[in-house]
This record gives sequence, C-alpha cells and structure tokens, in this order.
Amino acid sequence: MLTLGFAVSPRGTFSENENRYLAELPELSWENLQSGQFMSDISTYLSDHFLFRDFFMGLKTQAELLAGRKEINGVYIADDGYLIEHYEKPVNTEKIGEILENFSQKIAEMEKTEDRRLELRLMLVPTASLILEDLLPDDAPMYSQAETIRQLWERSGIQPVSCEEFLRTAKEKGQIYYRLDHHWTTFGAYAGYLAFCRDRGFAPVSLEELQAETVTEDFRGTVYSKVNDYTRIGDRIVIYVNPQDRLTVEYMDTGETSDSLYNLEYLEQKDKYSLFLDNLHSLITITNETAETERELVLLKDSYANSLVPFLTHHYRRIYVFDTRSYRKGPSAFIKEHPEVTDILILYNMGTLDSDLGIRAIY
Amino acid sequence: MVFSSIPFLFFFLPLCLILYYAVPFSMKNGILLVFSLVFYAWGEPVYIVLMLFASAVDYTNGRLMGRFGTTKARRRLFLVSSVAINLSVLAFFKYADFLIGTVNQICGASIAPLGLGLPVGISFFTFQSMSYIIDLYRGQVPMESNYLTYLTYVSMFPQLVAGPIVRFSTVNRELHERVICRGEIEKGILRFMQGLFKKVLIANQVGTLWESIRTLEAGQASAATAWLGAAAFTLQLYFDFSAYSDMAIGMGWMLGFHFPENFRYPLAAVSITDFWRRWHISLSSWFRDYVYIPLGGNRVSVAKHLRNMLIVWFLTGLWHGAAWNFVLWGLYYGVLLVLEKYVWGKYLQALPAVLKHCYTLLIVVAGFVIFVFDDGAALRQYLLSMIGCGGNAWWGRECLWYLRNYAALLVIAVLFAFPVYPWLQSRAERLTAGRRSVLACACAVGYVGLFLLATAYLVSDTYNPFLYFRF
Repeated sequence: MLTLGFAVSPRGTFSENENRYLAELPELSWENLQSGQFMSDISTYLSDHFLFRDFFMGLKTQAELLAGRKEINGVYIADDGYLIEHYEKPVNTEKIGEILENFSQKIAEMEKTEDRRLELRLMLVPTASLILEDLLPDDAPMYSQAETIRQLWERSGIQPVSCEEFLRTAKEKGQIYYRLDHHWTTFGAYAGYLAFCRDRGFAPVSLEELQAETVTEDFRGTVYSKVNDYTRIGDRIVIYVNPQDRLTVEYMDTGETSDSLYNLEYLEQKDKYSLFLDNLHSLITITNETAETERELVLLKDSYANSLVPFLTHHYRRIYVFDTRSYRKGPSAFIKEHPEVTDILILYNMGTLDSDLGIRAIY
Repeated sequence: MVFSSIPFLFFFLPLCLILYYAVPFSMKNGILLVFSLVFYAWGEPVYIVLMLFASAVDYTNGRLMGRFGTTKARRRLFLVSSVAINLSVLAFFKYADFLIGTVNQICGASIAPLGLGLPVGISFFTFQSMSYIIDLYRGQVPMESNYLTYLTYVSMFPQLVAGPIVRFSTVNRELHERVICRGEIEKGILRFMQGLFKKVLIANQVGTLWESIRTLEAGQASAATAWLGAAAFTLQLYFDFSAYSDMAIGMGWMLGFHFPENFRYPLAAVSITDFWRRWHISLSSWFRDYVYIPLGGNRVSVAKHLRNMLIVWFLTGLWHGAAWNFVLWGLYYGVLLVLEKYVWGKYLQALPAVLKHCYTLLIVVAGFVIFVFDDGAALRQYLLSMIGCGGNAWWGRECLWYLRNYAALLVIAVLFAFPVYPWLQSRAERLTAGRRSVLACACAVGYVGLFLLATAYLVSDTYNPFLYFRF
C-alpha cells in the first residue's frame, strides 16, 4: 500500500522541516550502473521521497524517547524543554587561531603604516551547551567550549570580549537561548551587547528605552528539525527597536534598501530566525543618522550577530556587516580602503565555529 | 541490495512476489533467476560475471562427471578441477592482498597490493557451489542437467549474500517441484518480519552504542564501558546475522523453499561446544562434513584429532575475513574446544547453569572483540581497557550515560537473545486457548505496528550497515 501511495503521490523538492533540498531522481546511464552510483542514488531518492516521511521520522523519535534515549541525532534532550546540541571536540582550533592571528597582524600593520587606531575585538559566544550545562541530562558527555575559547584567545592574540559571565547573569533573569534553535535569543544577545559595551566603555542603552515586540510564539528552529519531536511547543521571538535610531540598511549584494533591521516576511517560513537582518548577505551597510558617535564598525560575524546588531546601531554612525562565507574579497582590504572605520568586531558562536568556513576567509 | 532497505522492502520484494505467484510453475524458476541476478547486480554490477563463471564451472564439471565419470579416478579429476577453480577464485579475490601483505611483512618485500574489492557473498556462493560438486562426487545428489536451474540455486537472492549456506542436497528436490501454499507464505512473511525487526530495531540500534564506544579515545572508556561495548557488539552481530538468516528462511518459505536453520539462540549456550552447535550452523556443519570428517574427525589418535581441530578452526577463522585477527579468532575457539573436550569439559558439566552461562558468555564476548578489530594495536588497546590496564578507570560516568540511554534497548535485546519469544508464544496460545482469532488479531496489530516502526527507522536512519561484507 505504501508502495502504491508512493507511486501516485506528488514529489516535493525541498524539505522545509529539514531545511535542505531532497535528492533528485538519478539519471540512468551505463557508467552510473556500472559504478553502482545509480543504485545508491536511487536508494537516497526513495528514502527522501517516502510517503509520510515526516510522520515516520517523528514516530522514530517518539520510540527513542520512550526507550529512554536522552540524545537524538547529536542533540541532548535537556530539562525545561531545551534541546541542546552536542559540542564535539573541535579539530580546527589551531587553524582558526592562526587565521585570526594573521588577521590581527595585518590590522596592526595597517595601524602602523597608516597611522590609524583600530579597536579590534574578538567575541566568541558560548552556546547553550556551556551556559545551560546544568540543564543537560545527567552524565551527558560534553567537551568544554570554555577551553576552546581560551585557546583561541591565546593563539590569536586579539583582545577578547568575554560574554560568558554576562550570559550566566542574564540566564537568571530570562531566556537567553531558544529552546528549539541553536541561536541565542534577543535577550541573550543583549547580554552579549552589555559585555561589549563594558569592554568598549560605552553606556549601554537599557532595555526599557527600547520598543519590544513579540513577533511570533511559534519558532521551531534547527535543533527541532534534528530531533523531530513534534510535540514540542515553539519559542517566542521578541525583537527590539530603538525609537531614537534613524536607520538606512543597504544590502550591498541585492542592492535593496530598508529602514528596518528586520524582515518579518520570514515569519511565514519555518526558519524564522532569518528575520534578523534578512538572513544572509555578504555585506550590509547600516547607517544611523542619530548615532551617539561618528565611529564606524566593521563586523565580521556569523548569524549570532544578526540579533545583536540592533543594539549596536545606537553607538555607531555606520556598521559594515560582513558575512565572510559569501564576501570573498577580504575584509582587510575593505578596511584599508575605508579610513573612517574605527572599530572591528569579530563575532562567532562556538557551536558552529569549528566547521564554519566563513572565518577562514576573514583576511 | 540489503534486505532491510526501502528499495528492497517496498519495490523489489513486492514486485518479485507478485510476478512469482502470477506465473505458471514452469516459469517460476525463471522469475526467481532474473530477480536474483538483478539483486546481485544491484550491489555488484561488475562481479556478477564472477558468480556466473563460478557456477558455470561447477555445473560443467558436474555434467562432465556425469558423462565421463565412469571410474573413481576420473570422477576425482572433475571434483579436483572444480574445487580448485572455486578455491582459486576465492583465494584471488578475497585473500590475495592479505597474502601479499603478510609476505611483505615477513620478508620485508614491497609487492603492491591488488586493491580488488571483495565481491559480495563470494564466500557464500563458492561454498554452496562446492557442496554440490562434492556431494555429486560422493553420489549423494543427482547431477543437475539444466544450467539455468543450477544458476537459480547458486544465485537465489534470499540466501545469496549472507547465508545460510544452503547445500544443493537441501533444495535439489524443491528446485524441480515444490508446494507453495498460503500457510507457508504467511509463516514466511512473519519470519521475514521477525528478521526485519531484529535487524532494524535491535541490531542497528545496539550498533550505534558500539560505534560510539569504539570511537572513544584511548583511556576515555572505563573497563565497564569497554565491556559494555563488547557486549553491544556481540548483540549487534548476533541480531544482525541471525536476522539475515531469519529473513532468508522466511523468504524461502514464501517462495516454497526450505533453508536450514542457522542460529539457535547461541548466546544461551552453556559451553563453547554448545555455542558452536548454535552459531552459524550452516557454516560449522559445512566444515564438519567437508573438511573435519574427511580428515578423520575425532575417530583418530589424539594428536591427529588436535591437528584436525586446528585445521578446521584455522579455516573457519579465515573464512570470516582476510585478516589475521579472524584467524586468531578461529584458533581461539579451536583451542577452547580442545580444552573443553580434553581438560575441563567434565568439570564444566557439573557447574550450576548460571555459571555455565557466565563462562560461555564471557568467552564469546571477549572473542568478538578479537573478531571486530583487524588492527592489532587497536585490539590490544581495547583488550587492555577491558581489564582496566589501558590507562583507564574501572568505572566512569560515561558508562552510566550509555546505560541510561540504552538500558531499555539492552534489556529487550538480551531477552530476545534468549528463547523468550517461543516461550511467550506458547504462553499466549495457552491463555487464548479456544479463541485463536484473538491471538491472531493481537499478533497482526503487533506486527503491523512494529513494521511501521521499522519503516520509520529505515526512512530516517543513516546507520544501516552490512556486517558481512567481508565474508
């Protein structure tokens, strides 16, 4: 019956839940057959397009939970409804440290030859597996991110901004990570912002001065999709807007311009975190006419920074946001060409740092 | 193709069965043959030629033996030619690189390895094919005059790649006439499903436990964890391997064939001798009938008996894979069996049952550690970890973590590794005596539920290995 159902059912090409394209029907050819590639491709195809695939994946998860499993697909079933991704022992720490060191040397050189002062900072944001470790299941093995962070600080020689203490304080007051996604919440990002302000000597804008808006109560993100426990209730996303800011947000790759840091159209989709800074862009220029300083910031970052930027705009007349996964021309050349840049912040989260290809392209 | 896969379960098998039942009897072998060849070609698109060649050799030698085998010497000639070709094929494709590696190591030579991939199921189909020619020589089976029928026997997909090793004498009659009835088909479906559940819901899952323990860094696994890992691998191998036999036997019934039983709850054995009467029976009986007994078996002097044991267990080990650890594993059992026969067997019998089980399981679990590591250094490290001498602790939090996650699964696995299912079955039958339909309904609900669950695991699982690729 399932076979028949499969034969007549329409085929999707993209799985929103898994956030990936499904396999396509392989081409039948002699080489394909001889090498066995055709057979293995068709197996993947059949499994990807299996009838009620999502139902079956959920069924498996429920069976595993019932059997007492506390880890599914590399995700811990933690307390208080949190799903927390496993932090594997990193393998690229030395390499990443070296890249960061090269970058900082380049900046130091630039300061010398051009007689400028560049405030370079490195902010490595720990994920829930470190900060919320008390929620992890008993005896769950976990490699410590704190150790990797320390190694990278030492190796890179860049002045660090530590946000661990701020996050630990903030978690007593509110939710700093999404339960079902690997990102920090805007409240968590605010803690990161406080850490940055203390380091740079800025007077932080208090949350009360900002307009808060709950844009969804049903955010089920990446970690949810790894586990497929459909009984989970979605997270709330709160966004903050500083009413004093007069913003112009230019997306350099698409040429679009906006006055908002948020694209709420993403609320219709599964990956709602993309609403921050319109997901991925190689370079975004954010100008704030009412900023408290004339300083300009270059932000080299991954998606964690997208929810931190709305707090930073108050302090910078202009912020250049680079996604180094897609910006290939090398930000250091950009900094050289823009003498008005005064600050550089490198911000990555520890969960994906080790496998992040973007950080390898920062200089 | 793997039985426990979406293409096989939902496309290949249903299509095969529908056609098989639809055509008249004279065409059934043809359908079976075509599907078997497709099945083999699916996994080995090139080496299928090898299987066709090996079976053609045995078939031809069989014909020649029938035609010209008027004297014993001539018959022997055809036997030797057939067996020699089979063994050469096996030696070349399975053992050449192993031999080259060993020669290189001993003589310091540097012969380049051939790097041939191992043709799937080669150890199974060559052994099956040899059983025909040897039995023919002994006059225990009639000559097969139709090559296609013979090829149908050798290539029959239910048992082609992972056994049981079906001898020609077992299925000879059924190749020419067999009864296909509803009762047998139903029985076969249930048996197949049992195998599927064992493979997907138990073997693959304890397999993930073993994988995560074996990949722990040296010194990170406490002795308790190392033992847990070894036990998990033992369970994985048993459930995986016996599941394949269950599925093969079940499909045999669906098609009208009766293959021999291959496993009889080996982990419930009370001695090593007993274990080998229950583990991979079709292989040990093959070696018994075609190697051990021709060598004289145990009806010879003690010295010769020891020699025979050594030869048989050396070969049994080697059959499992072209690496020294398999030989070591075979000899380990050879020595233990000799010891049981000549030294402590009689004391063992006097022990209480619990101790007999413990003794057997300890040896079997430790034995499979030898089986699983073909890298000598890794094997040594793991064995040291098991006795707490690998720079590791006796007990650690990681062990607790694994137990927490896998306790339910392990309990189920251990229960079903013992004859609990037949016991449950007879209890259920007694309880529902007179109301057979109640039992049938409960059974149907259970099987359908588990089948959906197995499907769920197959659809979403990435871990579905094929353990006997080396055999």
